[in-house]
Formats: sequence, C-alpha cells, structure tokens
Amino acid sequence: MPSVQLFATCLGDLVVPEAVVDAARLLREAGFDVEFPQAQVCCGQPAFNAGHHAAARRVGRTFVRAFHRGSPVVCPSGSCATMVDRYLPDLVGADRYDIWELSAFLDHHNAALQPCNAGRKLAYHDSCHMLRELCIADAPRRLLERSGAELVALPRPDLCCGFGGTFSVRQPELSVAMADDKLGGARAADALVTADPGCLMHLAGRAERTGGHMPVLHLATALARGIEA
Amino acid sequence: MTDASLVESFAAAASAAGFRVHRGPPPQIEGAAVSNASFGLADTGSVVLASAPDEPRSRHLLADVHVSILDEARILPGLPELFAVVGEDLPSALAIVTGPSRSADIEQRLVVGVHGPRQVHVVLVS
Amino acid sequence: MKPFLAQPPGRFRARARAALANSQMQAAMDAATSRLHQRRLDAWDALQDVETLSERAHAIRMETVDGLDAYVAQFAAAAEAGGANVHVAATAADACTYVADVCRRRGAKLVAKAKSMLSEEIRLNDALAAIGVDAVETDLGEYVAQLAGEHPAHILAPALEKTAADIAELFARDGDPVEPELDALAAVARRRLRGVFENADVGITGANFAVAETGSICLVTNEGNGGLVTAVPPVHIALVGMERVVPRLADLAVLLQLLARSATGQQLSSYTRLLTGPRREEERDGPEELHVVIIDNGRTNLRRGRYREMLACIRCGACLNVCPVYRKAGGGSYSPVYSGPMGAVLVPLLVGLDKAPSLPHASSLCGACTAACPVKIPLHELLLDLRRDLVGDGVASRKERIAFQLWSLAWSRPRLYRLSTTAARALQPLASLAGPGRRWAAGRAIPRLQRRYRDR
Repeated sequence: MPSVQLFATCLGDLVVPEAVVDAARLLREAGFDVEFPQAQVCCGQPAFNAGHHAAARRVGRTFVRAFHRGSPVVCPSGSCATMVDRYLPDLVGADRYDIWELSAFLDHHNAALQPCNAGRKLAYHDSCHMLRELCIADAPRRLLERSGAELVALPRPDLCCGFGGTFSVRQPELSVAMADDKLGGARAADALVTADPGCLMHLAGRAERTGGHMPVLHLATALARGIEA
Repeated sequence: MTDASLVESFAAAASAAGFRVHRGPPPQIEGAAVSNASFGLADTGSVVLASAPDEPRSRHLLADVHVSILDEARILPGLPELFAVVGEDLPSALAIVTGPSRSADIEQRLVVGVHGPRQVHVVLVS
Repeated sequence: MKPFLAQPPGRFRARARAALANSQMQAAMDAATSRLHQRRLDAWDALQDVETLSERAHAIRMETVDGLDAYVAQFAAAAEAGGANVHVAATAADACTYVADVCRRRGAKLVAKAKSMLSEEIRLNDALAAIGVDAVETDLGEYVAQLAGEHPAHILAPALEKTAADIAELFARDGDPVEPELDALAAVARRRLRGVFENADVGITGANFAVAETGSICLVTNEGNGGLVTAVPPVHIALVGMERVVPRLADLAVLLQLLARSATGQQLSSYTRLLTGPRREEERDGPEELHVVIIDNGRTNLRRGRYREMLACIRCGACLNVCPVYRKAGGGSYSPVYSGPMGAVLVPLLVGLDKAPSLPHASSLCGACTAACPVKIPLHELLLDLRRDLVGDGVASRKERIAFQLWSLAWSRPRLYRLSTTAARALQPLASLAGPGRRWAAGRAIPRLQRRYRDR
C-alpha cells in the first residue's frame, strides 16, 4: 500500500486537531497508509514571514529532522506547503521535499468521497499562498463538488481574509475588517470552507465573536464529515 | 495589415475611444478648432498631432470641439511604428490623442471636457 | 530633520482605524479600487500576450536601473542639445531651490501645476509659497485635494474620498455657490483653471518617462491639463525622478502599452505627450524656457542591491487597486505621497527603515500586488526582505526579537514544544489580557487549545 507522511502543522496540531484527524481519514480512504512522524513541530513560517530568519531556521530544522524523503509529505495547509516547498530548503540548507497540500493530493489521486454535502451550498475561500504561490484553486472546488456540494462563489475571491500571520495582531482592526468582508460575502452559503488553518482560525474566531451562525470549517472536515460536523 | 484594413481598424478604434469619425466632408461646427493630424494609430484609434508654426500645440485643447483632419495614408499600426517614423525628427510637442478630455476625479464618475475638448472629431481624407 | 515621508511607528494603525470608521470612505475606496482592478484585468485579457509584454517591460526597466548613471547622462546631454536647461538635483532641497530660483528670476507670481507626485515628495508647493509664489494644482482631483488642504489619496484618484457635495462646498468657498452636480462642478473647475493656465508665469509638471535617446519628456494624462500647462505659460519646468529615464523610444512604446492598461484599463490615456525642447522658431505657443530637473532624493542609494527592482516602478497604481489592505486603510495611512504596496516598499527605502518601521508590516503578504505589477516587481518579496532587514538592522523592537528567539528555542525540540504548549494551554484564560493575545481577542474569539493531534 502506498504511504504518505502527514504534516499536521503547528496550528493543525494545536488549534484544529480534528481537521487533521479528518485529513488522515481522507488519505486512508483514498488508499494510503498514513505515517505521522512524531518529531515534527512546525515549518518555521510564523517567524519567517515576520522577518526573524534565525528563529525560523531553528524551528524549520525540526521539519528536516522529522520527515524523510521516502514518501510524499501531505499537509492540510496551503501556506505551510508553500513554506516547505519554496523557502525551507534555502533557509535550512536542505534538499526539496515532495510536499503536497491536501486537496491537490486527493484530487491528483482521484480520491473517492462520501456525498456528505449533498444539498448544501458551500462558499470556498482561497488562501493566498494556495492561490498565488501553489496555484491550486480548482482541486478543492472539484473535491467539494464531488462531495455533493453546490458551490457559491464569493465576491472578490482574490481578496485576502486578513490573517497574514503577525499582521493579524499588528493591525488587528484592519485584519478584522477584512474578515468581516469575507464573512459578509459568504452570506448566501450554508458554510464557509477554507484549506488553511490560519485563515480558518481567524475567520472562525471572528464569526464566533460576531455571533454569526455561519459555520467556518476546514476543507478536510467538510469533505470527511460534512458541515454539520 | 493592408492599408484598407488599417483604415477600418483605425475608424473602429477611434470610435471606441470617443471620436466621431467622418469619411466625407468635415463637419461644420461653429467655434470648433481644426488641426491637421500627422498620423493616426490603428490599434488605439489615436490621432497624432505635431506642433509646428501653423499647428500650435494648444489648439487641440482650447476649444470645446476639436476636429482633426487625417490622411488615410498616414495611419500606422501603432506606437512602435510611430516612434520608428518620428524618432529622428521629433517636433517640440507630439500629442497622441485618444479621445476627448476625461476626468473621473469626482466620485469616480466620468466627466468629459474638464480641460480639453468635450467633443472630438476625426475626418478621414484620402 | 525628519523626512516628510516618514511614518512614526503607530501612525499607520491609527490612521487605518480612522479610515475604517469612515463609511463613506470605505464605500468610495471599495468602488474605485474594484472598478479599476476589473478594468485592468479586462485590458490585460484583451492583450495578445501580457506576460511577454510584461517581461519585456521588466527587462527594459532593469536595463535602465542597472545603467542608471549612463542613461541619465545620455538624457541630460540630449535634452540640452535640444534646448532644455537640465539640472540634476541630489536632494529635495536642491530641487526646490532650483525651481524657486527660476521663478524668482522670472518674477513669477502664479504657477500652474500638472500632477506630479514627485513635487509632493519634495514639498515644492511649500517652497514656492515661502517665496510668495501661488502654485495651483490643475489636475481636477489634485485641485480638490489642494482646496481641502489635504494630500492626494491615491496615485490616480487624488480626491477618491470626496463626494460631489464635498467638492461643491470646497468650490463655493472661493466663489459663488455651485450645484453638487458633475457637469456644474466640471464647468466651474474648467473656468477657474483655464484662468490659471492663461495667467501662469510658470508651468510645472512631473514626467511619466524621460527618453534618453532623444532627450524627450513623456507626459500622460486624461484631462489635458498637462498639455495646457506646457503650452501656455512662457516657462515649463519638468520634475523627473531619475528612475523615470527610459533608454529608447522603442522602449517607451512598450511601457506605454502597459501603463494606461494597468492603471485604468484604457489602451492609452486621452493624452500621451512627448515634449522635446522648448518652443521652436516661429511656433506660436509652447514655453520659451524649458527646465528639466532630474531628482535623486534617495534613489541612487537603491540602484545596487536587492531593492533596485523598486526603481522599476512606473507609478501605474495597479498594486493599490488590488491590495486588500490599501482598500480599507486608505492612502493617508501609509505616507503623504506614496501608498499601497509600492508605498510600503518605497517609503522605507527612501527615508530609512527606522523612519517608517511599520510600513513593511502594513501588509498581509497576500502577493496580489506582485501578480498585478506590469513591470514584474516582486513587491511582496521585497516587503519580506524589508521585514528581515528590520530585524537584522536592529530596528525591530528588542522585545519582539526576544519573543521570537524564545519561541524558536521552545519549538526547536519536540519535547520542549510539548512542554511549552501544555503550559500555554494552562495559561490560556490569560491570553486575552495583554500583548498579541489582547489584540487578537479584541475582535475575535481566542482559539481554544485542545488535545494535540499528536496525542490522539
């Protein structure tokens, strides 16, 4: 049976572990053995994007120590996949990894999905790294449709949700205003789905604070269990 | 591009840019300023006006209505060709005009003729 | 003396908060940027191959930047041969002094100005006012901003945030009441500014490009004020940022094919003007005297090294129109002159990172700007490099550096990661009390740390 290594990401491990559980399940259902290297911590992106290279390097090395190159690495985060693919090798002086963002991997392997979103209108938010650096926009949408969902387009899907790592706390008012625009644009949908734990944490946090009833979930959860999860 | 299709492209593009394009005799409009154009650009529908003793550079801007007389044979495909032709011998002021004077500075709504002409015409002659 | 463009650390956030509270401005920014953004997309789509054109444009700009001294010298020689007076000004003060001297010598009382961000950068209007010269902006949006005593809010749309009613009120201060209707306002502006063109002793413009091969100045406008400012007054002074030099006319053609399309979606602006020398013999209008002031003001410092790509900027505004932060924060949050992504990169480079430390972080690094730039400046990568320099140069606070160092030590080993995150979970109720936790919690629920995935 083919195997993958699962990179939970720090936000996945700490803040949305259930989405990582869902990701692992989807991978298994797609026919893969899922290995979870316990030594993993974080790719170093939070420090890297804040300009703290030495700090990023120290943490980024944990990735290289934890993951081998015998099988693809799959992670439920577009931003982390970008970090590992594009920036980590030069940062820590390592070779590139065969790293995949989850939806790209599942789509590439034509994963069969349960129709758990039949009859549901879902809005999908493209996270910036996935959209612009990895150029993955169709795969998550195809998967959601394959799970039975009707997709509702967001107005201005090109606009960032406002998380941006440390931006979310350096410019909290702007960050929140950008979240409001994104959530407001999803009004016609039953739920807002995103493939990035950072975007998720930020949008779900704002939705909760404003008392909105819009569920905000990770793509893995939407595909594995549907929006009532 | 053949000459005939250059003229057709120019006419279409100039129209789209906001010129009223005439193929017959020039319109008689009271108070209109009239210039002889040096060239036309087919891709953008632009009229090229070169300053000269009998073509003051402000003429195409001062009146409310401006008419350019353009010889069809002087229509070039676009900017690269124009610059290749005029590059050796530039006038003191070369104006590449692509439509009437426009501003969107009030509430982002288009208003025509703030400083330059509100109406611009091109008369094609051969 | 603190540079004019400097942004003290807290100002971006404070101005952004005020902008967010201004619903009229939010609506105007949203409408304007969305419209311009879509128009650029449509115009780029209509081009046969915008990618290739963009790459050519990038190559032309980088050739210029990498040979800047030589091209500036070539331009100066060609312009002088054509009858222009050329002055290379190292600083803003030097440029203002030169212009003031010309005005004094001519006994000038009234100056007609066509849009020039560079003139804002060097604070020319203040220098002219100091010698009793009235400098009136003739670009409608700049005129409105000037009447309001404000700085322009956007490269292309200086009065973006004003309503017709605001403008009517401003116009009424200097004359008769006027209806807040588009045509009525335009008629008032036309009449007043026509008088300025006719009576001005000197006309001052910027320059979109300066062609080294021919010594020509290229001015791009939609309103036509650039043409009147350079036709009627007896003197024309053109202010040229030294990076605006373009090697050849053929290169100019490439850049002009992208400029208007990227700015407003037009194929070409209404008026693209190429000016070569003062009026010629027997010509009835045009300036008797043409002065070209080539301004450095910090640009040559950039021309080697990583950041030299920023000198490629052609000031089209495409990055502003696509930026999710600019559309909410507004132009004034960044600096009095340059805003949006290009401002966030250029201002710290011109004034020093320590004078504008927040600007590289005035971005969520979404990368939309890089994708929108017609000359392929990697804007978001430059922002990332600036953030790195903030740390490396010691501008970032010690507190922040220590925090990241501690975090990286804690997270450099799986066991320490476990320990630190268990501790964080225990301390979670306190997170909203101070620092980043408090700033997060002001608007969002704090994420609940749960049983880690690795422990399941």
